[in-house]
Amino acid sequence: MAATAALEAAGDHQLAEITVEEPLDLVRLCIDEKIYVKMRNDRELTGVLYAYDQHLNMILGGVVEVITVTEIDPETYEEIYKETKREIPMLFVRGDGVILISPPTRGS
Amino acid sequence: MLFYSFFKSLIGKEIVVELKNDMSLLGTLDSVDQYLNMKLLNVEVTDAEKFPHMLAVRNIFIRGSVIRYVHLPADEVDVELLQDASRRDAAQAKASAKVQASQAKSQQQKGGHGGGGGERAVVPAS
Amino acid sequence: MTSTLETFFGKKVQIITNDGRTLIGMFQGYDQTINIILTDANERVYSSFQGVQTVPLGVYMVRGDNIAVVCEVNEELDSGLDLDSIKAEPLRPIVH
Repeated sequence: MAATAALEAAGDHQLAEITVEEPLDLVRLCIDEKIYVKMRNDRELTGVLYAYDQHLNMILGGVVEVITVTEIDPETYEEIYKETKREIPMLFVRGDGVILISPPTRGS
Repeated sequence: MLFYSFFKSLIGKEIVVELKNDMSLLGTLDSVDQYLNMKLLNVEVTDAEKFPHMLAVRNIFIRGSVIRYVHLPADEVDVELLQDASRRDAAQAKASAKVQASQAKSQQQKGGHGGGGGERAVVPAS
Repeated sequence: MTSTLETFFGKKVQIITNDGRTLIGMFQGYDQTINIILTDANERVYSSFQGVQTVPLGVYMVRGDNIAVVCEVNEELDSGLDLDSIKAEPLRPIVH
């Protein structure tokens, strides 16, 4: 009966707060939490989630962006991964670049 | 609509818009629409050495779909307001999705006629 | 909704397309999908080993999907540019 309860509680803050029945509910539970976001083009973000919508547009605070670039070593032909890091205090992220969102891991 | 309203509240403030071609534009937000297309005034390209393509340009219209990030002025952003608005927006989106789903279901139970919500009535082959 | 392009009417504008090309022309019209009509259009071709080349194109209707940004050209600043001496890598394409 959880579904009906949630249906009736759609406007109700208390009940709507604790039920997870679709993917975006998990994102809602991440509000005010530090999350990890994997983006297209080998970009990764960590930051505190302040806002999101159904397109996964987001506003993150205290963001660290890591861009990974792969280069081929001209002599050994080995792949070299180079990371560049940036810090951005407050960032709007357009949802079309988002691949996945992960909630904070316990104990880290 | 949440982010449309949010950006409207930032009109007149300085922002940096980072595009999907790696160009970053610093300017004053002049207007925004529902697609998050934006117009910036007094624009400077943040890496002018690399991008002399915009030397004679001050006012720019940016198509929303080419935006990767917008760097926001942290002290102009009310995070508590955003969090509440997000929760409210999520609840609303969900409630209207539920209403649509239950309407579609009741249409089906009536025999699929009526064609509400973009559904097409099934005509039995004779 | 796209009231933001209204102010460009009759002005000289520069369009950057999703594939990184630069088109300059007189802004004659647009619609809700940001299709844009330019008259007297020219492409400016940037290169890192020679100055900017200008290619005349005439009247162009550019499809909105392929437009990244539309810039209002400050004609005073633009006429002051020495295009022959500007060398730059071509713009990268938009990668979604």
